Amino acid sequence: MTFGDRVVLVTGASRGIGAEIARAFAREGAAVAVNFVKNANAANTVVEQCKEEGNEAAAFQADVTDIDSGTRLIDEVMRHYGKIDILVNNAFRPYKFEPEKRKMFWELDWDHYWSQIEGTLLSTHTLCKAVVPLMTQVRKGAIVNVATDLVERPTIPYHDYTTAKAALIGFSKNLAAELGPLGIRVNCVAPGLVFPTDATLSTPEEAKDEIIENTPLGRLAKPKDVAGPVLFLASDWSGFMTGQTLYVDGGLVMK
Amino acid sequence: MAEFAGYLPGFSKEQVEWQALNFGAGSSSLRVSVPLLSEAQMIVLCERVERSANDYLKNRSVTDIIDIIDRTIARLLTRDDFFRLKAEKFLPVVTGYDSEMVRLALTKYLKTFRKPELTRFLAEDFPNPQILDSFQPLTKGGFGRAFGPNLLAHIWAGNVPGLPVWSLVAGLLVKAGSVGKVSSAEPLFAGWFANALAETEPEIADCFAVVWWKGGEKTQERNLFIRADAVFAYGSTKTLGEIRDSLPVSTRFLGHGHKVSFGIISAAALNTRKAQITARMAAQDIAVFDQQGCYSPQIFYVERGARVSPRQFAGYLANELACLEEKYPRRALTPAEARDVAKWRQKEELKTLSDAEIEVLRDDEGAWVVVYYNDSVDLSPSGLNRTIKVVAVDTPMQVPSHVQSFRDVLQSVGVAATPEELHLIAKALGGVGVTRISGIGSMSSPEAGWHHDGRFNLKDLVTITEIESSAETVSETLAPYLD
Repeated sequence: MTFGDRVVLVTGASRGIGAEIARAFAREGAAVAVNFVKNANAANTVVEQCKEEGNEAAAFQADVTDIDSGTRLIDEVMRHYGKIDILVNNAFRPYKFEPEKRKMFWELDWDHYWSQIEGTLLSTHTLCKAVVPLMTQVRKGAIVNVATDLVERPTIPYHDYTTAKAALIGFSKNLAAELGPLGIRVNCVAPGLVFPTDATLSTPEEAKDEIIENTPLGRLAKPKDVAGPVLFLASDWSGFMTGQTLYVDGGLVMK
Repeated sequence: MAEFAGYLPGFSKEQVEWQALNFGAGSSSLRVSVPLLSEAQMIVLCERVERSANDYLKNRSVTDIIDIIDRTIARLLTRDDFFRLKAEKFLPVVTGYDSEMVRLALTKYLKTFRKPELTRFLAEDFPNPQILDSFQPLTKGGFGRAFGPNLLAHIWAGNVPGLPVWSLVAGLLVKAGSVGKVSSAEPLFAGWFANALAETEPEIADCFAVVWWKGGEKTQERNLFIRADAVFAYGSTKTLGEIRDSLPVSTRFLGHGHKVSFGIISAAALNTRKAQITARMAAQDIAVFDQQGCYSPQIFYVERGARVSPRQFAGYLANELACLEEKYPRRALTPAEARDVAKWRQKEELKTLSDAEIEVLRDDEGAWVVVYYNDSVDLSPSGLNRTIKVVAVDTPMQVPSHVQSFRDVLQSVGVAATPEELHLIAKALGGVGVTRISGIGSMSSPEAGWHHDGRFNLKDLVTITEIESSAETVSETLAPYLD
């Protein structure tokens, strides 16, 4: 039971990677706050699955890209559990990974970038700002942010999405430097193309095969592949790591 | 969830008795209602199909028929089509196969029935396909026209989803009325295809039917067989033997029984770059439909002497199977299948105790097994469900002698070799009964118009009526315009 007495908040946890991360934490003994925006039914299913592991879990509705809503989320989780030991920023603004239909640079406006920066950075900023005072009080805490390996190797240039994720990694490193002296660690996990998730369901086979061909471990990532490194970075096993990014893409990116 | 199987033109749902077959479990369980026709209903159905084919199908040109099939297939290739959605939702439940595997295999399979492929399919058997529409001049003199059966019976197996499309399309192209019996293991796809055909061209809606009866139930089988001119059947050697013995002598029988397929990897495919790619393709051939197809490889013969040894290749293959288990997990096995796999594996593991030249590579859950033989051995069936032998050989030309005892059941061989080797290997393999040589990685996707088990698909279904030149000569003497 790596997380026996810990409370973890996972954003965007009603489906895909977030849901898998939530279940993995529950399996390792954590009490899980499952955040969702719209799909209450899916979130409740994840909560039930976490409870089946014998642990406390509850769903919390909040649009984390809205500052008030994000701040309220931290308050509600605090009221419910009394503390937050681990924050996993996984939510992002819906994005379709369609290499053949993506927008090219000259088709993108600043608004596209802004939308992704809000979806990724604003939400993470809001939650970190609200959670850091709580963590500093107990001089302990772990924040894990979900980025993408595209930052290191833009196999497909999803400009707006990847730029926002690159900013997230920069943001995390600065935060790590700031919070290290206070006992709080901040790290990132950067998955490759994860299949299946709602965002990648329509990614063509050919595109997936191209990635597989260049991946030493010979397949695409699955949601559960991402959960392991997230748990590691949230656990005491990585107690002397901060400001790092772990690439979870079967060796496509080596850094 | 619930779904009705079959396609019974002229009968309403209420007129027919239904039996439930249950698939899956929990929230994804599915109840499939299959039709239980009375004897009288079966007879009426056969007569209706035969009559309608005579009235409507036989008058259509083969180009017309190709167009109808093409439009139907186009529907089934459209992701949001009513029947396609059903297939993607229900077939994984019914067959247990991974849903992504089913989705991709369906597309790959169905697209071999588009207009260009169907035209090729026809041309393979008939240099002049118009011979199906009208009398055409023959090179030896006189005229000939090909006539399909009036009623073609189909007995389908359930090992590979979508299988009935082959014989139904063949039946349509030769303008035969078709009555097909679905398998209890996969009773749905044939009905969806028939419904889609009927919606595409209502005029031919009564020219085919999809029925069911309990396996081993002889009465309905007899009712169908005595009315059919030809019977197209898939199944075990035993089933096919029983069917053949029950048919009137004049009824043509086209049986596709259990087959054994394998792969050959030449040293050329085993350099440090290509070995992994070759292993990936070989693993695909093994994993598709969990080795249930007649084209699924059961053993790979791998040539020694390359930079990557056969033993190392076995290791790559094991790793690729492990990756595929993540991508397309093997379906849950029935207790009998699980027993067969375990028995096969244990037998191989036992051999390793007394023979250091044999090695067993497997995953903890037993979802795949690779057995490596350093000394070459004869072909033997694998335990199926992603279990495979990798056997080292000094040269691919050694392989025919290792497989010749299976002559009667050999079918596909996936080959990775140089062009020169390919033709030498093909010649030797053809001599021991192999009927299809494909590239490695394509074993499960026979090309359009392939000669299934080395036979003609369409030619075997028709009879040619010839007008000999003597008849022409005589008729000329009787012509009203005679001077």
